[in-house]
Amino acid sequence: MEPIILFAPLIGAILCGFGWRLIGEFAAQWVATFLLFLSCVLSWIVFFGFDGETQQIQILRFIESGSLSTDWSIRLDRLTAIMLVVVTTVSALVHLYSFGYMDHDENFREGESYKPRFFAYLSFFTFAMLMLVTSDNLVQMFFGWEGVGVASYLLIGFYFRKPSANVAAIKAFIVNRVGDFGFALGIFALFFLTDSIDLDIIFQAAPELAQTQITFLWTDWNAANLAAFLLFIGAMGKSAQLFLHTWLPDAMEGPTPVSALIHAATMVTAGVFLVCRMSPLMEFAPGAQTAVVVIGATTAFFAATVGLVQNDIKRVIAYSTCSQLGYMFVAAGVGVYSAAMFHLFTHAFFKAMLFLGAGSVIHAMHHEQDMRNYGGLRHKIPRTFWAMMIGTLAITGVGIPLTHIGFAGFLSKDAIVESAWGAMSGPGTYAFWLLVIAAVFTSFYSWRLIFLTFYGEPRGDRHAHEHAHESPMTMLVPLGVLALGSVFAGMIWFNQFFGDHDTVNKFYGVPSHHAEETHAQRALPGAAFAANEDDGHGEAKADDHGEGHAAEAGWTPGGGAVYTHPDNHVMDEAHHAPKWVKVAPFIAMLIGFGVAYLFYIRRPDLPGKLAENQRPLYLFLLNKWYFDEIFDAAFVRPAKWLGGALWRRGDLGTIDGGINGLAMGIVPFFTRLAGRAQSGYIFTYAFAMVIGIVILVTWMTLSGGAE
Amino acid sequence: MESLAADYLPILIFLGLAIGLGLVLILAAAVLAVRNPDPEKVSAYECGFNAFDDARMKFDVRFYLVAILFIIFDLEVAFLFPWAVAFADVGIVGFWSMMVFLAVLTVGFAYEWKKGALEWE
Amino acid sequence: MSADLTILLPEIVLAVYAMAALLFGVYTTKDKTAPMLTWGTAGIFAVLAFWIGFNGEGTNAALGGMFVDDGFSRFAKVVILISAAAVLVMSESYMAKRNLLRFEYPLLIALAATGMMVMVSAGDLIVLYMGLELQSLSLYVVASLRRDSVKSTEAGLKYFVLGALSSGLLLYGCSLTYGYAGTTMFEGVIAAANAEHISLGLLFGLVFIVAGLAFKVSAAPFHMWTPDVYEGSPTPVTAFFATAPKMAAMGLFARVVHDAFGNVTADWGQIVAFLSVASMFLGAVAAIGQRDIKRLMAYSSIAHMGFALMGLASGTAFGVQAMLVYMAIYVTMNVGTFAFILSMERDGQVVTDIGALNLYSKHEPLKALAVLILMFSLAGVPPLVGFFGKFYVLQAAVQADMAWLAVAGVIASVIGAFYYLRIVYYMYFGEETEALDPAMAPAQWVFLMASAAIMVFGVINLFGIEGPAVAAAAALVN
Repeated sequence: MEPIILFAPLIGAILCGFGWRLIGEFAAQWVATFLLFLSCVLSWIVFFGFDGETQQIQILRFIESGSLSTDWSIRLDRLTAIMLVVVTTVSALVHLYSFGYMDHDENFREGESYKPRFFAYLSFFTFAMLMLVTSDNLVQMFFGWEGVGVASYLLIGFYFRKPSANVAAIKAFIVNRVGDFGFALGIFALFFLTDSIDLDIIFQAAPELAQTQITFLWTDWNAANLAAFLLFIGAMGKSAQLFLHTWLPDAMEGPTPVSALIHAATMVTAGVFLVCRMSPLMEFAPGAQTAVVVIGATTAFFAATVGLVQNDIKRVIAYSTCSQLGYMFVAAGVGVYSAAMFHLFTHAFFKAMLFLGAGSVIHAMHHEQDMRNYGGLRHKIPRTFWAMMIGTLAITGVGIPLTHIGFAGFLSKDAIVESAWGAMSGPGTYAFWLLVIAAVFTSFYSWRLIFLTFYGEPRGDRHAHEHAHESPMTMLVPLGVLALGSVFAGMIWFNQFFGDHDTVNKFYGVPSHHAEETHAQRALPGAAFAANEDDGHGEAKADDHGEGHAAEAGWTPGGGAVYTHPDNHVMDEAHHAPKWVKVAPFIAMLIGFGVAYLFYIRRPDLPGKLAENQRPLYLFLLNKWYFDEIFDAAFVRPAKWLGGALWRRGDLGTIDGGINGLAMGIVPFFTRLAGRAQSGYIFTYAFAMVIGIVILVTWMTLSGGAE
Repeated sequence: MESLAADYLPILIFLGLAIGLGLVLILAAAVLAVRNPDPEKVSAYECGFNAFDDARMKFDVRFYLVAILFIIFDLEVAFLFPWAVAFADVGIVGFWSMMVFLAVLTVGFAYEWKKGALEWE
Repeated sequence: MSADLTILLPEIVLAVYAMAALLFGVYTTKDKTAPMLTWGTAGIFAVLAFWIGFNGEGTNAALGGMFVDDGFSRFAKVVILISAAAVLVMSESYMAKRNLLRFEYPLLIALAATGMMVMVSAGDLIVLYMGLELQSLSLYVVASLRRDSVKSTEAGLKYFVLGALSSGLLLYGCSLTYGYAGTTMFEGVIAAANAEHISLGLLFGLVFIVAGLAFKVSAAPFHMWTPDVYEGSPTPVTAFFATAPKMAAMGLFARVVHDAFGNVTADWGQIVAFLSVASMFLGAVAAIGQRDIKRLMAYSSIAHMGFALMGLASGTAFGVQAMLVYMAIYVTMNVGTFAFILSMERDGQVVTDIGALNLYSKHEPLKALAVLILMFSLAGVPPLVGFFGKFYVLQAAVQADMAWLAVAGVIASVIGAFYYLRIVYYMYFGEETEALDPAMAPAQWVFLMASAAIMVFGVINLFGIEGPAVAAAAALVN
């Protein structure tokens, strides 16, 4: 069944991309879409039927070269199952949605066939993403990793007549290369250290790596830290974390369904997935974990601040995505991988829906994306409005505090904030406060989007407003499905992702604690009581059964989908967080909502005044903290200058000059010489022969072996 | 030393006889011959060409043909003589080798005859 | 004795056939029998090639070791006979059309082939010289086959005079060798010339012999006759010159240096390496200035001989193997290329200017494609067979610690690629000129296409010639 899930999108892509001339445009699109729904249904079956036991399904022998030998196989565990569901569901819905959205695109000429290409790219992307999440070794993952990069590049630049789209596509590709370079280095490092790229072997070697030193860039590093950090650089690139985030907002040049699928729900979460997948390694790399927490928290905060002032509806959501990814990284960094996956899971629903909703708005407004030209749209496009409203409620985290009832984002975001607090460490506290502040901003910009778009007076082009129309059913059905997910996903799966310890462990197929404790008991009989106490009390403080001896007892990482170090009790701490911690995100949400309501409903003149008064700050935010400008000055310009110099001096001057000089100067000179020697006179020829024999005889006399 | 000189005595005699014979012939011509000179007769003779002329002149290629054929058969004879002298020693292989050689030569001869290489006109 | 004759049988058959056919031709209808004799000779060649190729086994010495029949000689003989047969078959229509088809032509080729077969089997300096002269004398005559053409007679004369000079050099080398080794047998020479002790006289003999042979393979600086003779001779004769005699001379070269001087590889290795580098560069550089395709092919063959000599220069069994494979590939490519050159005519007149090929691909896409493949293969562009030939000899040079030679070879082949590619350029991107006649004799068409196809499909296993080449090299080099 799993191979079908994996390959159905590929077959769809091939049939649609190459076969549409045979079967027709419309049929091709439906084939691709049908195959994705098939793989979606199968994914859900796998998700529900999965018992937590890690399985490996071999597809073929992949690489056999020296000591590097590996299979191409599907690794099916809980992480994979979650990702399968997320990827195929969102992808299937986006396929469906694209029927409506991509109909009559004014970026293409009359009679041009672009739809099959679009669907083929989408399906290809899905295949690559599935390759990534099902991989059983790092090279296979890298293959999928690059595959999604290519698909992303193709789709961002889908409007190939728009220069800005091409530039954005190239930017995304290049920035991702930086991250991929780190990722590749990480793979090399792990192969160098463990002589394998198979995940199982690497996981088992993780405790050993933590004891190993390695020299890199003339410095000694802890091997686990270094490898984990290099992998995290890859994750930063793909998940648009700070310093490598600049491509994501620009990627909004792509068609909106693409933004929903790739740049919100799936591809950008690959980085989070990678960190969770490598949890056995991360757990032994405290330095790397700190980096993850700090970068994640800072990104969450930074992106939220920038999101406050953006006017393009898609860019607001893009920064929001960037910010939410930061949340996930914080959770992964403090070691609560299940919380990170939880947020990834719920975020996929509501963020995809926000994007698709935004797409619906844009569709209605004839591809107008500036929110300042919207206003009062809730009567024109009511269904879209309600979908967006649900999405906003989900992302801002509306729910009933101190219970487990609320929209999806309420549960998962709170889980992360609590986990950050639960880390009880410097970086954790830093992250906690930044995340809470970011939550205020999140709420503010989300509501700002709603108010600017759907409330108030219509602004901008009157013609566009008059012709605003509700989207077709193909676009509304995906919105509805995602809305269901946004509302209920959190409540349904809360226990599995962030409930008591045993449920979570069972969900992830982490080997039973009992076996481990038996070991512990044998090793240290004194710990038996503590272990018993832990048993059944998931939320009880579990520090006692750990204390380092579990690792000694031989429990190897890699048994389940995620691994938490025996010393890692963050989740339990989080469950025991004080009430104020648990309520903090909710209050933050309320503050954000209040301010937004004040600014955009009560006193619409206030934002402008504030922007006037705090002009430097406003510009700082509007220009995204000047990251693009700084990068431009620091990297792009020097690189261009260097390239230009090498091209002019090196290529044109030295290489071309040398080769041309040789080919057009020296060789023809000898050619003329040889031509002149060929005089046609026998005596010249005979003379040449005599000269030749004289040379040979002299040579042999001087250097021959004769005495 | 004496014996060495004695060894060369026949050569000396041979030399004396040769000089004597040459002198007798020249004198006989001077004494007995009829003298009736004309310009054609007294001019230097060299294979039908002028003795003092441009060396790069054209002459009939048939001369070469005849010369080459002559040389071939000349060499054949030069090869046959030692063979004939040593006939007793070369044995059956030697005999057949010469027969093959002559057969090859004969094939060539038959070819050139039929080709007309031996006809002057 | 009869055992000796059995070993010599192919050569005897060919010689007797030539003489019998000569008498038959001259005593019957003369030139009317020429087409029949041409086909008959080609048939005999083919039969002999199969006979030698499939019947021969092991190493047999005849006439007390003066004549050797081993794997090496069989490999060379098969290549010689097949290429000679191919050239005869494809030249028949060309010569008939121009009233050149005399009945002597196939017979002279047959006699030349006999000489070549004797050459590659030589186990003695006398036999070597005899075979060489039989071959050369026949070739002098066919070079000036077109008696009423100044160029053809000039070519014949030049070839004769310079050939006589080289023959003299060779003979002088032979006499020096005989003088210092005390024997003309290769077995005796190799005993006299061992690595610890080689007299200067023997070394001189070696140098002169090598010089004489270098003339035959047209290696620089003994190559000067090649362009003029190639250009002046009738095209079928040129095609013949470029194929079978090259294989024979190369075979003889290998035979002499390994059988007679196999103990002093270091000494002749230097000479051969020098000849190799000089030939490769001269062939590559000088051909750039040529516009006549026959002259161009002359320089091309000089360059190719340089590559073949590179294999020989390594002085190893693998080097000989590489040389044999290279020669077989070279001969195949040249048969195809000359099949095409034979067909080049405009309004019935022979054309040899490469400018005539302008936009040939428009009129004759299939033939142009075949020529393109051949040109790429001659230039050594992967993945065609020509590339593997070059790769083979380069590998031999590298294995013999002559990396510099291999590097020089690569550079020369880059320079040489220019003129092959220029032909392709003319065919595909040139300016429109008057088109060549589309007609092509069926035999020429077949050889052109077959040769091009071999260049493409031969990459699979080189048609299994590696096995015989290994055996041949093993037979020669101990």
